[in-house]
Amino acid sequence: MALRADRYASRADTLVFIGCVLLSLAAMGLPDRLRDPFARTLRQTVLAPLLALQQQTERISAALERYDEVVAQRDSAALAATFLAELRSENLRLRGLLGLGPRLGSGYIPAEVLHQTEPTNALTFLVSAGRKQGVKPLSAVVSPEGLVGIVSTVDAQTSVVVSWAHPEFRASAMAADGSVYGIVAPHGSEGPRSWLLELQGVAYSQLVPDGATILTSGLGGVLPRGIPLGTVVGVAGEAGGWERTYLVRPAVHPAGVTHVMILTGPPLRGDLRSLFEAGSPTP
Amino acid sequence: MRRSDRYRFYIILGVLVVLQFAVTIRMWGRPVGPDFLLLALLMYSIRAQPGRGAAAGFLMGLLRDALTPASFGAGALSHTIVGYLSAWGKAVFFAENVWVNGYLFFAGTWLRNLVVALASGKLKGTMLGWELLVWSPLQSGTTAVAGMLVLWLFGRHLAIPICSTGGSAWRAPWCGPSWASSWWCSFARRSWSTASTGSSPR
Repeated sequence: MALRADRYASRADTLVFIGCVLLSLAAMGLPDRLRDPFARTLRQTVLAPLLALQQQTERISAALERYDEVVAQRDSAALAATFLAELRSENLRLRGLLGLGPRLGSGYIPAEVLHQTEPTNALTFLVSAGRKQGVKPLSAVVSPEGLVGIVSTVDAQTSVVVSWAHPEFRASAMAADGSVYGIVAPHGSEGPRSWLLELQGVAYSQLVPDGATILTSGLGGVLPRGIPLGTVVGVAGEAGGWERTYLVRPAVHPAGVTHVMILTGPPLRGDLRSLFEAGSPTP
Repeated sequence: MRRSDRYRFYIILGVLVVLQFAVTIRMWGRPVGPDFLLLALLMYSIRAQPGRGAAAGFLMGLLRDALTPASFGAGALSHTIVGYLSAWGKAVFFAENVWVNGYLFFAGTWLRNLVVALASGKLKGTMLGWELLVWSPLQSGTTAVAGMLVLWLFGRHLAIPICSTGGSAWRAPWCGPSWASSWWCSFARRSWSTASTGSSPR
């Protein structure tokens, strides 16, 4: 005997289902100017207590995982602090003698990444710092390894970050020695080399060796200069004999990041590469 | 359903919602732990009418879209489909067996990820393959295990009838017509008996 499926879903059920599907499709077609305020309202009302809970959980988890490391850092900091006043005065005196201005100030805001379980989580994600902490749109989001993404939308307590894996991400980039400039973008999803970046627009005559470090160039004024993006792993293609595109292995994978720093403060005109060099403390 | 059971049901759903934001399980840097929110939706929808399952899925999906704006609307669409199909499918196909419910949780999670990945349009090619063949099955598996555990511990309070092997089958009136439910229930019991003893069903 064949089962009659229509016995288990009334006409009203079917209409509700079709209505919900149509509303979902309408939501997918919403322009950003309508979608963002709506999503922000949901995050700041219904979801706010749950996001606060997730933030606390992430902090507790990090505290448990890194207890020994934090204690060691605290001890080192306490030791270094004993020499701090003397070093500071000496530094001021030397900078005055050399005629240098004040040291580059680069404020940052630490934040936890509030990962979700949906497949597109690595493309955009929430972080636990917002307007109240001083986050602004288009701020660079970094980890100790390099650039994670940029802030897209800022709420009161949270922010939406577009990671480098998002198809619309672009960053002005350069080789570490400053010899080559180009645009870094996600390599795409085809083939075995997904989750890589590519350095586009490099002149054909300019060669970038494998292993070369790619940094943000600071051109355009959005991202500060000197944040690591990744290392070159090969040539992705050539266009008409006038430009090359290089594959770049990212410095950091957004899905594996649990804590980030959002760069804030005055416009950063200096070079930040020294802050990311191996062995140096986090910026 | 007694009033106290109804309260317990919603309390358990609330606990699942809290667990979603309080528990994060990572493997190779990826969050592949149980999707407790989807589990709550599935547990609601398999005891509700398809329309209510679809509406609950739509609302839940919309909330989740606010957390992952890369695919705004895709979550609502996927949860609507999963909520409707699980409610409809439970009445038509699924036997009242904890293992079959586990399969439902697995399939629901995988289907949700499939629809999100396709509807968002952001994942293609190899990335889509990895997502659907590696990460989604892992997440679906953990969700199914968590769901079976919840059913095993609180199935009575959730009013999701479970006919365990050899146990008495208690069937709720909203689980579809008795002949279909009984047939599938006895089929599941025979299958389980065969699998566990190696003997052919009598």
